Amino acid sequence: MGKYVFNRVLQVLPVIAGVLIISFVLMVVLPGDPVLSMVGERYDENTVEIMRKKLNLDKPLMIRMGMFFENIIKGDLGNSFISGRPVVKEILEKLPNTFVLAVGAMVVAVLVGVFLGMVTSLFPGSWFDKTILVLALTGVSAPVFWTGLVFILLFGVYLGWLPPTGYGGIEHLVLPAFTLGLRSAAQITRLTRSAMLETLGQDYIRTAQSKGLPWWKILIKHALPNSMIPVLTVIGTDFGSYLSGAVLTESIFGWPGVGRLALGAIMSRDFPVVQGTVLFMAMMFICVNLIVDILYGVIDPRLRAERHN
Amino acid sequence: MLFYFLKIFMVFVFCFIAGCRNNPPELGLRLSLSADIRGFDPAHAVDVRSGKIMSLVYDNLVRFGDSTELVPEIASRWSLSLDGKKYEFTIRKGVFFHDGSPVTAHDVVRSFERVLDPKTLSPQRWMFTRIDGALEFMDGLSSFIAGLVVKNDSSLIISLSAPFSPFIQYLAMPSSAIINYRGVDSINEIPSGGGPWKLVKWERGGKIQFIRNENYWGEGPREPRLVFRIIPEAMTRSAEFEAGALDLLTIPSTEVQRWKKHPEHGKSVVYVEELNIWYIGLNCLVPPFDDVRVRKAMNLSLDREKHLRLLVPGGKLASGPVPPVLLKRHNVETLPYNPKKALRLLEECGYPDGLETELWVGGGSEMFHVIEAFQSDWSAIGINVKIVQSDWNVFKSAVRNGQPPMYYLNWTADYPDAENFLYPLFYSAESMTKRNRYANPLLDDIILQIQSLSYGTERTSLVQKANKILLDEVPWVFLWHKGNYNVTHSSVTGYRNKLVFNAERFLSLEKKNG
Repeated sequence: MGKYVFNRVLQVLPVIAGVLIISFVLMVVLPGDPVLSMVGERYDENTVEIMRKKLNLDKPLMIRMGMFFENIIKGDLGNSFISGRPVVKEILEKLPNTFVLAVGAMVVAVLVGVFLGMVTSLFPGSWFDKTILVLALTGVSAPVFWTGLVFILLFGVYLGWLPPTGYGGIEHLVLPAFTLGLRSAAQITRLTRSAMLETLGQDYIRTAQSKGLPWWKILIKHALPNSMIPVLTVIGTDFGSYLSGAVLTESIFGWPGVGRLALGAIMSRDFPVVQGTVLFMAMMFICVNLIVDILYGVIDPRLRAERHN
Repeated sequence: MLFYFLKIFMVFVFCFIAGCRNNPPELGLRLSLSADIRGFDPAHAVDVRSGKIMSLVYDNLVRFGDSTELVPEIASRWSLSLDGKKYEFTIRKGVFFHDGSPVTAHDVVRSFERVLDPKTLSPQRWMFTRIDGALEFMDGLSSFIAGLVVKNDSSLIISLSAPFSPFIQYLAMPSSAIINYRGVDSINEIPSGGGPWKLVKWERGGKIQFIRNENYWGEGPREPRLVFRIIPEAMTRSAEFEAGALDLLTIPSTEVQRWKKHPEHGKSVVYVEELNIWYIGLNCLVPPFDDVRVRKAMNLSLDREKHLRLLVPGGKLASGPVPPVLLKRHNVETLPYNPKKALRLLEECGYPDGLETELWVGGGSEMFHVIEAFQSDWSAIGINVKIVQSDWNVFKSAVRNGQPPMYYLNWTADYPDAENFLYPLFYSAESMTKRNRYANPLLDDIILQIQSLSYGTERTSLVQKANKILLDEVPWVFLWHKGNYNVTHSSVTGYRNKLVFNAERFLSLEKKNG
């Protein structure tokens, strides 16, 4: 396992380098001028030139790229053009919020998705199954900004059960977590259902039933773990993207996360913050996928044996 | 078995929601911002939002009142010499910074020096370059500014190199805030001032919390706390207000009618006049808008009155760039809607079949529906306008480089003086490098005279003359001066309209139930 993880980490390095080069070039090629975001309306040209020099924007692209990679290797992501603060500090400040939202959304997605997927697979073709399938389709199709606003109006304004926006306690997390997690929940429901239907038709399930095992034990111990491989893939992909920031959900609910930080930085051409968040997002995605790969092996002994060989 | 599962699910959902009942409201005033501020360093206060927030924690020598007047603040009184070059300020006694140290004339000098200091790299140094010796100080030829003289702790003289009437207004702007030099190293994070509110915590992208400065020299805030939550979405802000989590809301223009009819809050909706102008800049350097007749046709073919009535609640038609309250004349004729004349003008200048052009718009313009209405008006006389939407930074760069033939933009006053609607927007050196490439030596002369003359009838008539020239030359399509509709909760009293953005410090607002 150790060798497998080491190999995977080695594979990751060129991916990160590629992501950084592409994002660097894209930001430089994009029209716009970061200095104009900093000087207001009544600037003088002299100030603009001094600022440009200070931020190394007057240097050729290759030199800037070289300086950027040299700093990355030293572990320095630079300072934000706009706030002047270290990029690492900016990201780390937002990271707990992003993490809480991502975990909250994933908990909602897994609990709701696996539960509904499991139940519907037990009653295929029933009214319940059909209703949940329609709802799951709606969940996959509904845009986040629409779901978010509907939740805000319903639970925050009309019913008054939950604070419409903001962050802090668990009560603030419910609506954004449901908004963000609902899409994954719908997908997980559909995947769990189809995987469970396949698993429940297997010989070993019949054997378990003939042994006289209680139904819940058959479900939880035998059927569910064997249906989790495709579900785990969705969890991995979605969790990775949630950790990279959910811009729409964060904007609608006033949630100060990495997604909004990245969006603001792109809008104001704050290159160091854009690069920092891109690096962070790529690493999050890669880490989560690595963990998911390892978990495959934990769940499925066949994969474990394959990797071992 | 199905019902067994359903029961478990329902119990789970119920427990989750029941455990998350809405918390009781926070104490103090609860307001919102659409985006975060950049920081608390006055030397870098270039945007309206940061300027508004800075005015809570810093004092200035003078401050804007409710309307266009200036009121004393740190300076209890001031006088101007007859030649218009020397201001003498008396610094109020018993004024303290948040750390308890007294505010003296030396602090004023240090604050202004810091803005001019090349090391600060302040984009706002233009505000103080008129002070005698400022340029030498900036160029490193002098270690002090000759025009800033401290007579004693409570007396300060500021000498200008030439008479410049808006200077006193500059002193009320966010970048002229008096800072406590002892906290300058971390000033962008932790404000170092002596204003009526003290910062408690700034959670970037989340909220900014203040408490009342109990040692404030003047009449301080009525409420003990003030919190700004950063909520980017306009609809979410409305929902927060409706849910009772905000005490004041600036209503999005598309929602004004709904709020006016609101059974609970309809009566609390108030119109707040602002000093601004919304316009379409026409690039006067390149065809077709280098021809004044085409520019006139663009103005005459827009039914601005109809669009204003239907789409821009509360706005006033613009008669030139200067708002009526600063023009000191309210009955100036606006350009009429006359598409026939516009068509004739187009024919005269060689566009009988109309023309094609582009209108650039920056950011996610809330007024996009208005621009589409313009597009329709122009197409009626054969002017096909393609709307080019880009993000704010690209838009701003393009305008600076003179790229867009037309662009939709607005200007909000830094200070309540007509000069602020003339010099930065139409003075040749400014317009030719940053805006729509309009140059008129006659107008330049008038603007320079306006800057040097003291406030009075002669200056007012020059302002009116400049406004008339611009109305004749139409370097812009003059649209409107647009205010905002605000609504406060019924528990909130003491709301007073302020004309200038940084005049509002939330001192008089009070909540009935604390």
